[in-house]
Amino acid sequence: MVRHPTPDFVVCAWARNCQKFWFCFGALWRDSRCRVTRITVSARLKIYNPLMDRDTQPSCVHCAFRAERPFCDMSPDAIRGFDEIKELSVLGKGALLFAEGATPRGAYVLCEGRAKLSICSEGGKPLMLRVAGPGEVLGLGATLSGDAYEVTVELLDKAQVAFVNRDDLLTFLRENPTICMEVVRRLSNDLHGAYERVRAVGLSRARRPRIRRVRPAAS
Amino acid sequence: MLSPYGLDIVESCLTCKLRSEQIFCDLPEAALQSFEQIKYATAYPKGAILFVEGQAPRGIFVLCKGRVKLSICSTDGKTLILKIAEAGEVLGLSASVSGKPYELTAETIDPCQINFVKRDDFLRFLKEHADACLRVAEQLSEKYNAACREIRSLGLSHSAAEKLAKLLLEWTVKNGEGAKQEPRIKLALTHEEIAQMIGTSRETVTRLFAELKKRQIIQAKGSTLVIRNKSALKALATA
Repeated sequence: MVRHPTPDFVVCAWARNCQKFWFCFGALWRDSRCRVTRITVSARLKIYNPLMDRDTQPSCVHCAFRAERPFCDMSPDAIRGFDEIKELSVLGKGALLFAEGATPRGAYVLCEGRAKLSICSEGGKPLMLRVAGPGEVLGLGATLSGDAYEVTVELLDKAQVAFVNRDDLLTFLRENPTICMEVVRRLSNDLHGAYERVRAVGLSRARRPRIRRVRPAAS
Repeated sequence: MLSPYGLDIVESCLTCKLRSEQIFCDLPEAALQSFEQIKYATAYPKGAILFVEGQAPRGIFVLCKGRVKLSICSTDGKTLILKIAEAGEVLGLSASVSGKPYELTAETIDPCQINFVKRDDFLRFLKEHADACLRVAEQLSEKYNAACREIRSLGLSHSAAEKLAKLLLEWTVKNGEGAKQEPRIKLALTHEEIAQMIGTSRETVTRLFAELKKRQIIQAKGSTLVIRNKSALKALATA
């Protein structure tokens, strides 16, 4: 024997990436002994929740992803210091973080979303280098050396970005040698990636290997 | 007394006169003293190989005097010269920090004085001295910048002529003659090496030089190259 579904039942699911908030309306189907036999979902509603903006990790101290990300995994004292110097913003898809050749203002930590790194010829022809994911620090090299940004970074998704001013970052690094070491490690990895790319671009064969003509075997 | 390879070897970094000009070496007193304890001053002849790409990192090489050719090699033996490193540069830095194999091959083109520091010692030194760590970060950023320039030049240029014109213009800026109407460059590399720098063949470079001379864009005076028509060269570079 099946009872009628309870109309006031609401299942609420929360997506982990914080950008979506789903409300699901459904019903529980029970048998005569009140055991749940089936769950049906009759409607699913995506609701924008203004609270979510506040929920997108306003403070690095409470960030759930911190432990997984090498740059963000700092000591409690350092993370509090970093919290003070960073400026958090949520930017839309297609936003330009910085353009190649511009004077460095500071570095950007990508908290959520992806960004495209590309360089451009004098004629305006672009060459994409790679796609950066969450947890990466962008514009670090230029910020430290004071030279112009070497790449153009454009967001591929709606993303949350923490910006750190150049002077603040340099002071912060001087005070925290362990993070400075992590920055050096990160730059080394970037450099490795760049050399790989040089190898791929510079040493690949200019001409495609010719397709061998396969002659049908003489019967 | 004449030292090996005619080099005037500087034994101590503390008394080195070149120090203030170099980015890496201009360290505070305390850092310099501990660097002094972990470094080995060595002299290399011309043509010596400091490290080969793919080798596990042993440590860093601080180039005090002389020049070093940095190149990468494809599996079929094609070579691409990335840079000619000059005094004050630190070689093998990123590999030593990250622990990944050396990504380049370094070969001396002059007799060189090099200060070698073992990897473990260097990492300990960086942990203890935040200033040195920042200097290293600066050096790495510069190298990254140069690598990006290289990618741009190799990946986005259409022809070998364009790449050669870019290289010549880059050299004029480097020699401090960028503002002059008729800049001069001292050619320190062979056509073969220039070909390896722009990723083409020796024959193409020779042909291009002959063509530039014929069009009176450049003029050779011994090993010195005079750029007679800078605007034409610029037009070639941005074609």
